[in-house]
Amino acid sequence: MGDLAAAQSYLWLIVVLPLLGAAVNGLIGRRLGKANVAVIAIGVMVAAFVLSVIAFSWALAGETLHFKGGTWFRVPGPDGRALIDVSWGFFVDRLSGTLALIVTGVGSLIHVYAASYMSHEDDFGYARFFTYLNLFVAAMMTLVLGDSLVLTFVGWEGVGLCSYLLIGFWYSDQQKAYCGRKAFVTNRIGDFGFLIGLFALLAVFGTVEYGAMSHAVHGASAETVLGAGVFSGKTLGWALTFATLGLFVGCAGKSAQLPLYVWLPDAMAGPTPVSALIHAATMVTAGVYLVARTSFLFALAPASMAVVTMIGALTAVVAAAIAFAQNDIKKVLAYSTVSQLGFMFIGVGAGVYFAGVMHLVTHAFFKACLFLGAGSVMHGMHEDTDIRNMGGLWSKMPHTAKTFGIATLAITGIVPLSGFFSKDAILAGALFSENHAYPWVGKAAYVLGTLAAAGTAFYMVRCFALTFAGKARTEAAKHAHESSSLMTIPLWVLAALSVVALVLGLPEFEVFGPLGEVFGKFMHPVFAQAGEILGEHEHVVLWPFLVAWGIAVAMGWLAWQMYAGAWRGVPERLTRALPGLYRFTLDKFRVDELYDVFPIGFVRGLAWWLWRLVDAFAIDGVLVNGVARFCGSLARAFRVFQNGDAQRYAAVIAIAAAVILWTVVGVGGH
Amino acid sequence: MSQANLLTIVVFLPLAGAVAAAFFPPAEPKQHKALALIVTVATFLASLGLWFGFDAAPGAREFQFEVQAPWIPSLGIGFHLGLDGVALLLVMLTTALTPIVVLSSWNAVHERVKEFMIAMLVLETAMLGSFAALDLILFYVFWEAVLVPMYLLIGIWGSENRLYATVKFFVFTFVASVLMLVAIIYVGAKAGGTFDYVQVRQVLQVSGPAQRWLFLAFAVAFAVKVPMFPLHTWLPDAHTEAPTAGSVILAGVLLKMGTFGFFRYALPLFPEATLHYRTAIAALAVIGIVYGALMCLVQKDMKRLVAYSSVSHMGFVMLGLMALTAEGLTGGVYQMLNHGVSTGALFLLVGMLYERRHTRAIAEYGGVAKRVPWIAAVFVVVTLSSIGLPGTNGFVGEFLILSGTWLAKLAHSPWFSAVGATGVILGAVYMLLLVERVFFGPLQNKKNAGLLDLSLREWVVIAPLLVLIGVMGLMPQPFLDPARQPVDRLLSRFAQVERRLQESDPARPPTTGTQPPALAGRE
Repeated sequence: MGDLAAAQSYLWLIVVLPLLGAAVNGLIGRRLGKANVAVIAIGVMVAAFVLSVIAFSWALAGETLHFKGGTWFRVPGPDGRALIDVSWGFFVDRLSGTLALIVTGVGSLIHVYAASYMSHEDDFGYARFFTYLNLFVAAMMTLVLGDSLVLTFVGWEGVGLCSYLLIGFWYSDQQKAYCGRKAFVTNRIGDFGFLIGLFALLAVFGTVEYGAMSHAVHGASAETVLGAGVFSGKTLGWALTFATLGLFVGCAGKSAQLPLYVWLPDAMAGPTPVSALIHAATMVTAGVYLVARTSFLFALAPASMAVVTMIGALTAVVAAAIAFAQNDIKKVLAYSTVSQLGFMFIGVGAGVYFAGVMHLVTHAFFKACLFLGAGSVMHGMHEDTDIRNMGGLWSKMPHTAKTFGIATLAITGIVPLSGFFSKDAILAGALFSENHAYPWVGKAAYVLGTLAAAGTAFYMVRCFALTFAGKARTEAAKHAHESSSLMTIPLWVLAALSVVALVLGLPEFEVFGPLGEVFGKFMHPVFAQAGEILGEHEHVVLWPFLVAWGIAVAMGWLAWQMYAGAWRGVPERLTRALPGLYRFTLDKFRVDELYDVFPIGFVRGLAWWLWRLVDAFAIDGVLVNGVARFCGSLARAFRVFQNGDAQRYAAVIAIAAAVILWTVVGVGGH
Repeated sequence: MSQANLLTIVVFLPLAGAVAAAFFPPAEPKQHKALALIVTVATFLASLGLWFGFDAAPGAREFQFEVQAPWIPSLGIGFHLGLDGVALLLVMLTTALTPIVVLSSWNAVHERVKEFMIAMLVLETAMLGSFAALDLILFYVFWEAVLVPMYLLIGIWGSENRLYATVKFFVFTFVASVLMLVAIIYVGAKAGGTFDYVQVRQVLQVSGPAQRWLFLAFAVAFAVKVPMFPLHTWLPDAHTEAPTAGSVILAGVLLKMGTFGFFRYALPLFPEATLHYRTAIAALAVIGIVYGALMCLVQKDMKRLVAYSSVSHMGFVMLGLMALTAEGLTGGVYQMLNHGVSTGALFLLVGMLYERRHTRAIAEYGGVAKRVPWIAAVFVVVTLSSIGLPGTNGFVGEFLILSGTWLAKLAHSPWFSAVGATGVILGAVYMLLLVERVFFGPLQNKKNAGLLDLSLREWVVIAPLLVLIGVMGLMPQPFLDPARQPVDRLLSRFAQVERRLQESDPARPPTTGTQPPALAGRE
């Protein structure tokens, strides 16, 4: 394994290897042929994974690895003190180490899957795809391993770029290109908030390095009155509330929370491996990671924590509600992702950080599995994604069906799969959490979260039932075929992981012995500082777990009855009884249409009117050309006297002479 | 050979080339192209001597490669050239862009090639001279000398509406510059009959109101050039009608003469007036950022869109300068270079499309990425630089400007920073919209079916800029360091003035320099 120093000094390779892969495939990939492209792309991923495992094993042993690279840019003032001093530094603690494992591990599996899934592309497209995918991993690892907010921001925008490129991968389809742009712009709105938060922290601390900030607030009181700068006269708590809310706007963009979630469902226009890797397992969880990473700041800003919790809870419910009526298998999963991200934010917002992160981990497994399963189904169904056209695939695609089923049970929260423990750790944690400023938040989040969990069970079982159970409803479904083993093996690995990950989340009951809350204990050092501020609770009671389990089973059973069992006529009768509500839900509550009016239509109209009124009319029309016209007409007026006509000249002379004479004589004569 | 001669050589080599070209027959366009290319490349190589010979270390001489010779001694006018770090960076930008531009017009210019190349060479000397001049009158001569070849470039080699555009360009800039000339003469008289910049800066003493008038006269001349809202309307017309080479030089170098003018002349010569008008200028800069970006949203002509994006980007530069913090000023200087590289590259790419299809209308394109994947890829990379994606040069500049403004001691500066930052969102909106409309979607227009991808010559034209985008994004320090001394000097100058102002008005809080961190010193 080598020593700590060696592991530390090679951390940068985790970022640079995928970057190299992207560079090679991007520049000469199309000449290399598909097989070589895949080997390079997967090779760098596996190497990055191995390095991450080594780094993680050190984190497991309680060490933190910190690679300090050179300066990126630095601007010292006349006094030599530099507030802007950004260097390339990567660090691995238990939080970033865990994320690194997920990104490179799940990433490797998805690369393998994609090598087969994308094989229909031509050489250029194939190379382009893996270029973007490797570039994404490099950006994501920068985001995760960066030791300052600036580096996280670099990765943050980098993954946004890759997301844009990959959603619009089939760019000759106008709609897909549009979806990519929509994702990028929505994310940029979030990034605006991130930047403002970053600047605010810079004004408070004079640095945005995580370690230095955590050191600076250690033991500080939120009541400290700040003496200098933008926040002079305000308390530390006020400044941190401002800054963390700014960061959270960024999180809402990246992690698709209200009101910025609209891009994620459209992001499904990208190839399915992309949906699995970027829009389910890794990139969209970056917001959760950021809140967890800066937990020591959020803990000093109870109002921000309340906002995070409530936005998470509301998003969880709203997205689950929309997922009820979607018929596109990827759209169902997309709204489910939005909803599950809401759960994670409840966790990190309510101060049960470990649970939020744990749900991030388990979700990465089962949601990646679900998406890859959906991709496999699409392959079998000739790219059809409408679940109404499927049915009966259980026998046609046994591997896909079984793994999809396991992942469905996991996300639904059926004992003893991983989703149950992570989701219910969040809900139970929220219920017993205490936000000092807004004590009702935890309970409200519990109620909303439980509602969303019930919804999850329903729509996921509905999706599974319509896809795999019953009889085939179309010709395509009758002739569906199982995918290649290059695709099914990653499915089984992920399905297995979504079962095994349950050990992370066993609650602290005596029966589980040392395994009780193993992940919570593992993460404890990372969140110790926030825990100190918030005060730690030891509430482990059985009943919330039983309630959650009961709800999951009941709703799952109900959905199964309605879509595969005895009550199969019910959904149709319901839609006929409530046509307005059904359409409204099917149309995703028409939020996109709302945004088309405001802000999109508004800004566009404003721009047009400004252009016509200010630029074209006021400045150019009245001022610029007006002055020119004025000079022109003045000149035309004078031209009357000089048109070359001798008689007119004579007349002018005569009149002028008369005037002069009259003036001289008249003035001189009195 | 002393260092001093090197600067003179760099500045006048293009002019010598232009004189030589006059002796070649006009019927041999190839000779003129080759000569112009050789001369501009030689100028670039010579300027590398300046780059590597420049001492950016703290405590080094302020102006290096100085040349001083009497010119019209009776009037106190001298021939005085020299470079500080900021001028050096802009000289390098100019010498690097000009050969690229010459090469880019290889096939685009068919008529009057001789005159075209002569105009380019004269233009280069004028631009270099206005960055290197250290005498106010000499500066003014170079400054105005830029107008003539530019006027001809747009007026002769431009497109349909070129006459309106070129007259508008000329009148706008000339009228404003004449005001500056009056101010220069007044300053020279006040400074005891010398126009030497270094001496003037040292001895100039003008009272409050007079200083404000002088500042305004300089500032208007520079603001037209930048251009700042609402003096910007000549730019979209000039850019749209200019030939590619004209647009690239205009965006790449000429606009920087305005911001450089603020940095070199308006700010250090009239610090009190600067402090007086600073909020208003910063407000106009922010308006320019947002307004320029909004204009881009509704443009149907590619070049007009890129021109309006210049208004937005140059607003960032002005905002950084007005922050009067080390971060903001350095970022402003850096953003001048960035804008030269990325907007220059955008105009080159638009020019390449124009050469193929002879239209700038966005609606005429669509889906061409399938036909010209490399143009599309390069365009996307340049777009990313233009919208300031981390890893490209644009990010470093925008980040420094916005953080420098946020940390400034100017009243309400966080608001300026926050509103300016919305330009980052809008930038993504209009640039990606452009990319989508031109390159993505189905290929519907049959006329685009036969488009050819980048030729070897075009690769040579665009590759250096792509390299710069990456290098300046990942290793910006060599380009930031030369700016450090000039920025520090300017800030110390303002600090001095503020101390003096504080003596007369003890209640006046300092407004320049960076805010110390709020939690600093707490242990």
